[in-house]
Amino acid sequence: MGSSHSMSEEIQELAEKTGFTSEQIEHLHRRFKQLSGDQPTIRKEHFDNIPDLEFNPIRSKIVHAFFDKRNLRQESDGLADEINFEDFLTIMSYFRPIEMNMNEEQLDHFRKEKLKFLFHMYDSDHDGKITLQEYRNVVEELLSGNPHLEKESARSIADGAMMEAASICVGQMEPDQVYEGITFEDFLKMWQGIDIETKMHVRFLNMETIAQCH
Amino acid sequence: MEAWGAAATAALSVWLALVLGLILLPSVIGVSLGISELYMTVLVKTLEWATRRIEKGVKKQQARMLKDSASNGIIQRVDTTMEKEIASLHRADFELSDIFYFCRKGFEAIVEDEVTQRFSSEELVSWNLLTRTNVNFQYISLRLTIVWVIGVLVRYCLLLPLRLTLATIGIHSMIVGTTLVGCLPNGSIKDWLSELVHLTCSRILVRALSGTIHYHNKENKPQKGGICVANHTSPIDVIILTNDGCYAMVGQAHGGLMGVIQRATVKACPHVWFERSEVKDRHLVMKRLKEHVADKNKLPILIFPEGTCINNTSVMMFKKGSFEIGGTIYPVAIKYDPQFGDAFWNSSKYNAVSYLLRLMTSWAIVCNVWYLPPMVREEGEDAVQFANRVKSAIALQGGLTELPWDGGLKRAKVKETFKEEQQKNYSKMIVGNGSSGNLSSGTEPD
Repeated sequence: MGSSHSMSEEIQELAEKTGFTSEQIEHLHRRFKQLSGDQPTIRKEHFDNIPDLEFNPIRSKIVHAFFDKRNLRQESDGLADEINFEDFLTIMSYFRPIEMNMNEEQLDHFRKEKLKFLFHMYDSDHDGKITLQEYRNVVEELLSGNPHLEKESARSIADGAMMEAASICVGQMEPDQVYEGITFEDFLKMWQGIDIETKMHVRFLNMETIAQCH
Repeated sequence: MEAWGAAATAALSVWLALVLGLILLPSVIGVSLGISELYMTVLVKTLEWATRRIEKGVKKQQARMLKDSASNGIIQRVDTTMEKEIASLHRADFELSDIFYFCRKGFEAIVEDEVTQRFSSEELVSWNLLTRTNVNFQYISLRLTIVWVIGVLVRYCLLLPLRLTLATIGIHSMIVGTTLVGCLPNGSIKDWLSELVHLTCSRILVRALSGTIHYHNKENKPQKGGICVANHTSPIDVIILTNDGCYAMVGQAHGGLMGVIQRATVKACPHVWFERSEVKDRHLVMKRLKEHVADKNKLPILIFPEGTCINNTSVMMFKKGSFEIGGTIYPVAIKYDPQFGDAFWNSSKYNAVSYLLRLMTSWAIVCNVWYLPPMVREEGEDAVQFANRVKSAIALQGGLTELPWDGGLKRAKVKETFKEEQQKNYSKMIVGNGSSGNLSSGTEPD
């Protein structure tokens, strides 16, 4: 990347927008270039080159999350075809660890952002609700590797969890009341009191500037 | 014109005489004249001086940071297993929160993965005056640049022709020597001569690379009828090992120059070369190797179980095939010193000729070879566990990291069976918990 003037301005802008330090941004930029094969944008296929990711049962949802326009803070809906480095950083910023100097409001906002990211992962049809079907999809994906587990069992696990969610959100339901799905407010309610901030972050090592030349 | 011709011939003959006297003859006898030792001492002193200059030129702080960056990682991974992590989150059987663990692991993998790092050359902490390793270093001072220029001249104009001459002589004598020996009738004289020819040619080739090899624990050297396994970094691993002993090599039959060498050497010594079609047939391969090992008079087989070249910072998965043959395994750990020259062959980046050129214009190839005590498969241990045991021993001795990954990932994708592992484990956890709870089909829980 070198140390040309315009580069460092861009890095500063990105640092302010996403909250990473400029050293972390340079490292992520190197990784971005490695993933994209030196191109300015990444497509879904580029994530296929990571062997570690292949083992993950929800890899398709994770890759999906990178291209989800809601996560990219764009007004429109749906999926982007390719993302540039700024979008990459935006997604990565959801996994930033908590900083010591955050106040109550910032912490709350931070937590909401992370939970929203998770919500979008479950809500695959982008309608703002996690329906029973979507829930079932996630459970099946997580459990799909086990050949001894029948589909029925996976479904009943999902159904059971959904019932519990409903009981938290809506309380006792009338016999003919249909629970449509978990909205984002209900989702937040479920996580009250549980400390998710420490579970949902990637800790970056503190690295000083390293001059690079290619 | 005449004068030029005569002068050139004279120079050439002096050159050849020197090469013969100082390098070839000692190779035959197996004696070292100490020239390469002298060269190495001078080289080490020069590089130390260069490092000091660089450290003075760059701020002290940055130099320390360079050292940290050479260690592989920009994120700190939390090494809890899936079981612990999910258990700590659990209130009931399946939770929305279970997704956290996989989500985070996925992100960590995207930011940095352990495998692709191993297929590019190791980064050096300080520059060794070769342009190719100049990743982080900028212009420091005039003196350093002059030394670098001298280095380039020495390497390309003095060392390269010398090394090429030696390499050509070495390969020719190997082909001619083994063909001649192959004409003799089978017997102890033939074996002795074949050993002599192989050793001499290996020594010439090692000198052709300015190789300095330190052998440790020679008492554990592989015996006849055994199998020698080692970690694989480059094609010259073979030369490094045959410099100190004779092995029966195993490999695929190639065409071209390699094929000529293979056909010549197999006449003198029972190497095991497979045709391309035979390689696919695992049982045939196994059978031939078992036969070879069973004959206690035959030389030990040399196998590289990783199957591909790794960059010498880690040891990847050992394929279990070599460990199913039976017999005694003699593990050998090879560790190259990257300061003097990078031996790793990145076959996707460099083809064979440019690789050899790089090798011959490096300063030297310095490596350590450790012979480890022999191992046998224990009762109740299957081939995979045995392979892992041997791999750990080699990694420990050589100071390499141990990775469970398959070297084949360099070219291929992850096998489907492995992908399912995590899901199987996770579902076992859930269903295991669930069977005590609410897994009766259809009825509501609680």
